[in-house]
Amino acid sequence: MIEVRELTKSFGDTPVLRGINLTLEQGQVLVLIGPSGSGKSTLLRCLNVLEMPTSGTVGIGKVRLEFRPNSKPRKADVLALRRQSGMVFQAYHLFPHFTALQNVMEGQITVRRKPKNEARTKALQLLAKVGLAERADSYPHQLSGGQQQRVGIARAMSTDPELLLFDEPTSALDPELVREVLRVIRELAEEGRTMIIVTHEMKFAREVADRIVLLDEGAIVEEGLPEQIFSQPREARTRQFLSLLMDQSTV
Amino acid sequence: MNERTNLDIFTDSFLPLLHAGIAFTVPLTLISFALGLVLALLTALARLSDFYPIVWIARFYVWIIRGTPLLVQLFIIFYGLPSVGILIDAFPAAVIGFTLSVGAYGSEIIRAAIVSIPKGQWEAAFSLGETRLQALRRIILPQAARVSVPPLSNSFISLVKDTSLAATVTVTELFQKGQQITAAVYEPLLIYCEVALIYLIFCSILALLQRQLEIFFNRYYTA
Repeated sequence: MIEVRELTKSFGDTPVLRGINLTLEQGQVLVLIGPSGSGKSTLLRCLNVLEMPTSGTVGIGKVRLEFRPNSKPRKADVLALRRQSGMVFQAYHLFPHFTALQNVMEGQITVRRKPKNEARTKALQLLAKVGLAERADSYPHQLSGGQQQRVGIARAMSTDPELLLFDEPTSALDPELVREVLRVIRELAEEGRTMIIVTHEMKFAREVADRIVLLDEGAIVEEGLPEQIFSQPREARTRQFLSLLMDQSTV
Repeated sequence: MNERTNLDIFTDSFLPLLHAGIAFTVPLTLISFALGLVLALLTALARLSDFYPIVWIARFYVWIIRGTPLLVQLFIIFYGLPSVGILIDAFPAAVIGFTLSVGAYGSEIIRAAIVSIPKGQWEAAFSLGETRLQALRRIILPQAARVSVPPLSNSFISLVKDTSLAATVTVTELFQKGQQITAAVYEPLLIYCEVALIYLIFCSILALLQRQLEIFFNRYYTA
């Protein structure tokens, strides 16, 4: 289970997240939507502690960590929380000096302390799962954007995290490559992976989400089932955001 | 007494010069560069640390070494330190001087290379749960090494030639040997050109090595 309580984050004097509360049951998929600058990515990055939250509590699986302003949490606690989630980045961030296989083995060896042959077996399974078994020995620069992102997904899963985080996983991709990545994410959702996804692909969001959260100016504006959010949004801000997206997609 | 031709002088002096190069210039260069690289890496990491005393020590060291002439540093180590009771033989004194120099200049190269690796690489390593040290060792330094090869090769090649300064602290390396031979045969143009030629040979070998190293590091960038 994922639990976020009163999470805030400021960069200097600029508040980016203003008291976020979220809970997510195991096996659920939450999709975060909202205009750019609304704090979606920052929220995701706070859960993975790539950004240090200013205050609030984050609990993922068995690990809970409370953040307080002006006091740094212990490094070991940060690592423990971070290891509960895996991150898929917009720009993939694959390790360019490693092959696809080595990218997926890395965390298993350094973090989970697995023997190499075990890590290799699991990495090959994960690559097969994302449809890239035959590209295991390719370097990232030899792969298309869609393939790189699928390796990124396999890498994020390699350390068996409780929660998978996707930060606009298809935003850097050519349109014809988006589908192969979304297909993989959809399969993971069907398997019952717990995931939080930031995306601008509204059709995909509607299909894959158990719950949708709309964020604006660092606060949750509306939260609900996909049907409700897309068909009968309660808040004016939600309607405005969705109609803006519809306008764009008809351009 | 029969007249020796220039060619005779050239061939007669070639082996002694080459010997001085191989016996002193080469080991002086290799030892100083190897130790200097370790010092450079440690200094670069110190500069990037978030513990201020360490940052300041590293900055002070780089400031002193870069701000004073290498020749003066060598004189301080070899001729100056004995007056406070620290006696160091000529060869180790030269090694210390050159190591400190490589360490200071090299640290800036390595620091720049580390900083040039995109932040996303750190984040990807952290997101897997790696510690800072693991990320540095496994992800950042291997990529930084590739970026550092051309500028560090510059330092390496400069060092080969800078070792001629060791002549001034009585190390009979290549240049010192050239001076000795010149004093005996009085053919400065010929002998010093010969000395230059041997330095050129050494540096050319290093340039070839650099090329190989770049090919090795580029294996994952160009198909």
